[in-house]
Amino acid sequence: MDVLNELLGGFASALTWQNLLFAFVGCLLGTVIGVLPGIGPVAGVALLIPLTLNLDAAGSIIMLCAIFYGTTYGGTITSVLLNTPGEAASAITILDGYAMTKLGRAGVALTIAAAGSFIGGSLATAGLVLAAKPLGSLGLMIGPPEFFALVVVGISLLVALAGRSMVRALISGALGLLISMVGIDPVAGAPRFTFGMERLLDGVSFVAVIVGLFGLSEILSHRPGKDKVTVQAPGMRSLLPTRTDWRRSTPAFARGTGIGFGLGLIPGMTGSVSSLLSYGAEKKFSRHRNELGHGAIEGVAGPETANNAHANGALIPLFTLGIPASPTIAVLMGAFLQQGLTPGPTLFAEHAEIAWTIIASLFIGNILLLVLNVPLVGLWTSILKVPYPVLTGLILMFMVVGAYTINFSVFDVFVMILFGVIGLALRHLDIPLAPLVLTLVLGPLMERSLRESLDISRGDLTIFLERPVTVVLLLVALAIVCSPLLKLRKPAALAAEDPET
Amino acid sequence: MTSVTEEKPVAKVRRSVLAGQAVLTAVGAYVLAESAGLGLWNDLGPGPGFFPCILGAALVLLSAAWFFQERAGVQAAPAAEASDRSQVRAVVLSLLVLAAALPFIGFQTGVFLFLMYHLRLRARTSWIKSLVIALCGSVGVYYLFTLGLNVSLPEAGLVPLSLIGL
Amino acid sequence: MKRILAATSVAALTLAATTGCGAAGTASSSGEDFPRQGKSVELIVAFAPGGAVDTAARLVQPVLERELGTNVEVVNKPGAGGQIGYTALTSAKPDGYTIGATGSPSVVVTPLDPARGAKFTREDFQPLGRQVIDPAVVAVQPDSPYQNLDELLQAAKDKPDTITATTTGQQGGEHFAIAQIKEATGAALSPVHFSEGASQATTAFLGRHVEVLVANVSDVTDLVKQGKAKVLGVMDSERAEALPEVPTFAESGHDIVAATARGYSAPAGLPEPVAQKLEAALKTAIEDPEVVAKMDDLGLATSYQSAADYKKFWAQQEADYKTVLPLVQAK
Repeated sequence: MDVLNELLGGFASALTWQNLLFAFVGCLLGTVIGVLPGIGPVAGVALLIPLTLNLDAAGSIIMLCAIFYGTTYGGTITSVLLNTPGEAASAITILDGYAMTKLGRAGVALTIAAAGSFIGGSLATAGLVLAAKPLGSLGLMIGPPEFFALVVVGISLLVALAGRSMVRALISGALGLLISMVGIDPVAGAPRFTFGMERLLDGVSFVAVIVGLFGLSEILSHRPGKDKVTVQAPGMRSLLPTRTDWRRSTPAFARGTGIGFGLGLIPGMTGSVSSLLSYGAEKKFSRHRNELGHGAIEGVAGPETANNAHANGALIPLFTLGIPASPTIAVLMGAFLQQGLTPGPTLFAEHAEIAWTIIASLFIGNILLLVLNVPLVGLWTSILKVPYPVLTGLILMFMVVGAYTINFSVFDVFVMILFGVIGLALRHLDIPLAPLVLTLVLGPLMERSLRESLDISRGDLTIFLERPVTVVLLLVALAIVCSPLLKLRKPAALAAEDPET
Repeated sequence: MTSVTEEKPVAKVRRSVLAGQAVLTAVGAYVLAESAGLGLWNDLGPGPGFFPCILGAALVLLSAAWFFQERAGVQAAPAAEASDRSQVRAVVLSLLVLAAALPFIGFQTGVFLFLMYHLRLRARTSWIKSLVIALCGSVGVYYLFTLGLNVSLPEAGLVPLSLIGL
Repeated sequence: MKRILAATSVAALTLAATTGCGAAGTASSSGEDFPRQGKSVELIVAFAPGGAVDTAARLVQPVLERELGTNVEVVNKPGAGGQIGYTALTSAKPDGYTIGATGSPSVVVTPLDPARGAKFTREDFQPLGRQVIDPAVVAVQPDSPYQNLDELLQAAKDKPDTITATTTGQQGGEHFAIAQIKEATGAALSPVHFSEGASQATTAFLGRHVEVLVANVSDVTDLVKQGKAKVLGVMDSERAEALPEVPTFAESGHDIVAATARGYSAPAGLPEPVAQKLEAALKTAIEDPEVVAKMDDLGLATSYQSAADYKKFWAQQEADYKTVLPLVQAK
């Protein structure tokens, strides 16, 4: 009951009308900025930090959290409507989000995304309130060998992302891993596959690759007359999800929350891993898995829930251990430090009131996100009323700005164009794109954790068989890989259209 | 395989697919060769070339597997709908030109011309509409980003343009 | 001091001369209009968020913003023990809009070992000012079987290369510290390299995946407060202010000194006025009483050095580390 009392106290001090105003303004500005190309949550929060500098500790952190939620949601808006992800964590949403837009269901996708973010965020925050301490130490159980095994589980979900052919999915996965190898080797510092280009030492920029592979290649493969009828601005009625949509989204919300929250606890995991794995899980376990990729609501609900649950779950290592688990959290931590607060367990001991106010403000931020964005969905989707050829020109301009602002260099614009062409070729060859994105994100994590593990064991590979958590995870991965191999020749989903049957 | 069924010419592998497989194999071989030079294994486990080596080998093997699958007609890639060549060419070329020109003519001029090309010449939007949208998209976006958000966009490097602040 | 004065007057003269000419074209290249309105300064941190480098940069950032009158954005580019971030820093345009946090030994040592294929040398950096010196420490779990330094070292002698210890990357400060311990005492700890930075190393230590935490004073200050780590020794000539009860290595009879020195640098070739402005802004930011107080809270003792002194210090460090480099090179 103690916790509840303190939380209520937190709400009492967070719920002043000034703070609500800050949160409202922050959420609105965040969303608008998140919609702009090239400005993801990290840059968005960093841009708006000056607004918060003159506020008191509670006010400034409430506003920052609201800005953070806003920018994240802004990235989702562009993913769904324009097929251009604002940041890595919502990259996978474009698969089904944009497909839904093509079906005239953009409003539903955005509403469900907002609802999913709210649910994932609130539940993760509830986890933070109820069991921060034990959960924090749970995250610590994941050492390098366990981390490696987890990444292997993630990569094994690749089999779920396969389209018609497992071989082509694996090719796509191998390509993603290879792209992630470009740059300076993360352990020994040797440059790999940089072709002597200085710009590549830092690796290929993820956002440029994604924007090219999905957004640009989609425009390139567009044929006049095909989409004209289908891309349409939805009417007011079709903005709201139907009862079926809600029913189908519920399991995806649950899985997304679980995956995002769990991975958020682990220092070093990024939000994009959560959203990708959640998509993989939907592909594997959803009752409607065959519709995924063609505009299924689960493909939006799962990842969007997961990345917000991840973001809130990642606050647990921050509060319990003082470890910022992701770049956005690091920006938040910066704001804490500015206010003279050291994040970590001492925060609850020394500034309990502020700590609880912050937690209360996380809930408030989540609620604001919902009440602010659902009514605005109609406004956002009206972007689609712009005629397609005009929209194409503007989207291309957005992509150029987005790619340019990654490193403020045209090099990334060229990378984006190159991957647009590669994406077109892969589509042409029926090589699925999703596995490439999955491995592109997981590649560096896998390599790093493997080499750290082998440092611990002095080069002995049996370390992966000696630790119970690792063994369980590797078995899970094996089970996932083996399940479709049993029907390698005729995937059930395709039996109907396979001419050989 | 002389008799080809009406539904699907199983034995005939599309030329573009063959080309794709050849490219993938070549990439795999290149990676294999390159990774050997990076150091595969040292006394503390895998070296920098370890992962690339496995991936290169995997890519070569997978391409081969795909080739045989395709020939046998198993899980073959369906004939892709041909994409609109002129669309691809116009978009890719205009983007390349824009990216190459940005450092010289700056964001405002470059994007203005780019948008005019796509709106007026390709989409046949009316002159007034094109002009308004192109101006908003170039000058408007430029000032929104640089003044409003403190995010810098490319400026012109060539003398006559750079002097008037584009 | 004289050098700074001289440099300032030279800069003032150049400034006067260029303004006298009044050509708009030259103004932007010589840089006295730095920083331009609407252009933000990127501060590259070559380690993951949460380490001392990152924390210090984030504390300095707002004062820098105030002094420079423009946005300063902290950007983390972790990996390869700092090499990835340093490469990004040195390959940036020397126009003042990209600066970075530089910490020795990592920044000093990376270019010395040809095996790393570093694209930069000491000459590619323009030091702007040193902020802190952070001595290395050796810490264990509070319930560890090794309750003092001698027990740990004896155990490492008895069973060489079995007790694991964290570093923040091959040839980082901690790797050197481990090598120095081995050289001086014969106790061989087995290094585990967390090339993303101290926060990853600390996490693995807290999760008991690695037995010994080799880190800096600032990394363990908060852990000690929480009772999550027991510091066995500080590798410095004096006890650390933040850890007054912990003996130095010298007190335990081992003459080992190891520390990480951190400051800020730009890519070499800054126009003089830009360098002046950045140096002055950094000096104000680093010596800002509020920043110093917050740094002290985190166990970071501010030890400012001007650009010129930091440059000399850097050269000295390079000479020192050249001699011990063979200890940490891959065989």
